[in-house]
Amino acid sequence: MTYNPAHHPDAVVRVRDLTKRFGKVTAVDGVTFDIRANTITGLLGRNGAGKTTVMQVLTGQEFATSGDAQVFGESPAENARVLSQISFIKESQRYPDDFQPKHVFESAPWFFENWDSDFAARLVSEFRLPVNRRIKKLSRGQLSAVGVIVGLASRAPLTFFDEPYLGLDAVSRQLFYDRLLEDYAEHPRTIVLSTHLIDEVSQLLEHVLVIDDGKIIIDEEAETLRGSATTVVGMRSAVESFVAGRSILSREGIGGLASVTVGALSADDRAQAARAGLELSPVSLQQLIVRRTHVTEKEFENQS
Amino acid sequence: MTTATPTSATVSSDIRPPQAGNAHPMNRIWNAARLNLVNRWTVYWIPLMILGFIWLVNLAIWWIINASVGGADRTDAMDGTQWSGASFYIFVYMLVIAVQSMNMTFAYALGLSLTRREFYLGSSIAFVLLAFSYGVILTALSYLEEWTNGWGLGGHMFTSVYFGSGPAWQRLFIFGAAMLFFAFIGALSGTIFMRWRTNGLLIAAALTTLLIVGAVALITMTQSWGLVGEWFVTSGPQGVIAWTLLPTVLSGFAGYFILSRATPRG
Repeated sequence: MTYNPAHHPDAVVRVRDLTKRFGKVTAVDGVTFDIRANTITGLLGRNGAGKTTVMQVLTGQEFATSGDAQVFGESPAENARVLSQISFIKESQRYPDDFQPKHVFESAPWFFENWDSDFAARLVSEFRLPVNRRIKKLSRGQLSAVGVIVGLASRAPLTFFDEPYLGLDAVSRQLFYDRLLEDYAEHPRTIVLSTHLIDEVSQLLEHVLVIDDGKIIIDEEAETLRGSATTVVGMRSAVESFVAGRSILSREGIGGLASVTVGALSADDRAQAARAGLELSPVSLQQLIVRRTHVTEKEFENQS
Repeated sequence: MTTATPTSATVSSDIRPPQAGNAHPMNRIWNAARLNLVNRWTVYWIPLMILGFIWLVNLAIWWIINASVGGADRTDAMDGTQWSGASFYIFVYMLVIAVQSMNMTFAYALGLSLTRREFYLGSSIAFVLLAFSYGVILTALSYLEEWTNGWGLGGHMFTSVYFGSGPAWQRLFIFGAAMLFFAFIGALSGTIFMRWRTNGLLIAAALTTLLIVGAVALITMTQSWGLVGEWFVTSGPQGVIAWTLLPTVLSGFAGYFILSRATPRG
């Protein structure tokens, strides 16, 4: 399967045939995609799929094995012009042993020209982060809050969040989503959000990239993706006659009832389904990705 | 959308990085230096407190000697403190600071989107500043020690034979250059670990050991230990320390190139 993403004139990230190997392990396998300016893109995939590696190459932390990665039109590796525009918040971020959060909030502003210290102070109190405690002694959630606050307050033109909220409770995660959306509306910038909590972020995302086993398997607008599948539920015979000839993503059934997930439906299709007494329900982004990943895997298996 | 954000201002076929006010190369390198010094407790207060404690312990020992030994024996014993290594701790501490910097501060610096080059140059500036400031502190203490006649007890901690008793600039040079030596040896070890992990350190340690054993063998075979001793005596502390500048500078350059392809891994 080859991907030919549309050439976006306003792409701030342009990746072409990027490969990264660690010894014999190929973490990223010839990926090609663009990320448009001033959008929120979800970089989704299972653990170990290659999400972090892609972001590490884009932020100059890892060096590509082959292929081309351009950020703001230049290679990011050891490029201060590019890197000074980037904020990369990752779950595995390490801090000096002797640091307290206050040292982070003192030093981070030196490197981000858009840093908003009032916003940072507000976030510190909202996340109830103890700023005078050794970072080593913070809970997992508090440690994540440090990163989230830096990522938001830095207002970098290109911000990467890599699983930013490990250990954060539901309230704090909601707080993160709320502040992210508010601040994004006021200060548009390009945001890449990598997570495995797909349903939680699905309303935030404008574009979706799904990476699996080092390859991009979905590169679509979130809106298109959300409408790209519908589950049809009803009497088996009615469902079967309705889905005949359509692309079927998954099929379940109990007794005389059937539940079939099909591709995009037109308004006419929906009317027809209603007449046949069928129930239509949208498929969540998470279900969709799980199914699409599955389908793609099967395709790969069939080809090889 | 004509917002103030730099990226949206240039929606052309080729988006260039917007010019950031803060992105001036020298600013970023200087800020990388500050990153190493942001926690004053780690770089100044704690090591100085430990130094103060060691000084107190020494003071107590000198007092015991003064109280329990008399006459020629006392003079003899107090002269012996010229060989005191009590202040060596501070140099080892400097080495640890540099190792930690190349390890954890490096990972943090990359997280703040610094380049490796900016981080290394900035850290080197921080090491020079630390070495200089500790040089000034130790020089001042060495004069204090002289003026108080060894803290009133004839003891030596900052005026030991290793540091000499030359003019101020010479003492500053000895203390500062020794600090720099330990800093860059530490930095080199830190970068070797960052680049090649434990295996790299093991190989580096093995090579260093071989070099030392080789040198010892060479000196012993040619029966030139006398010459070596003579060299130390004629060079004096400032001469010996001047020679350490060579490995210091070499380590500094080596660290730069080793770190330039290193990546912190969690």
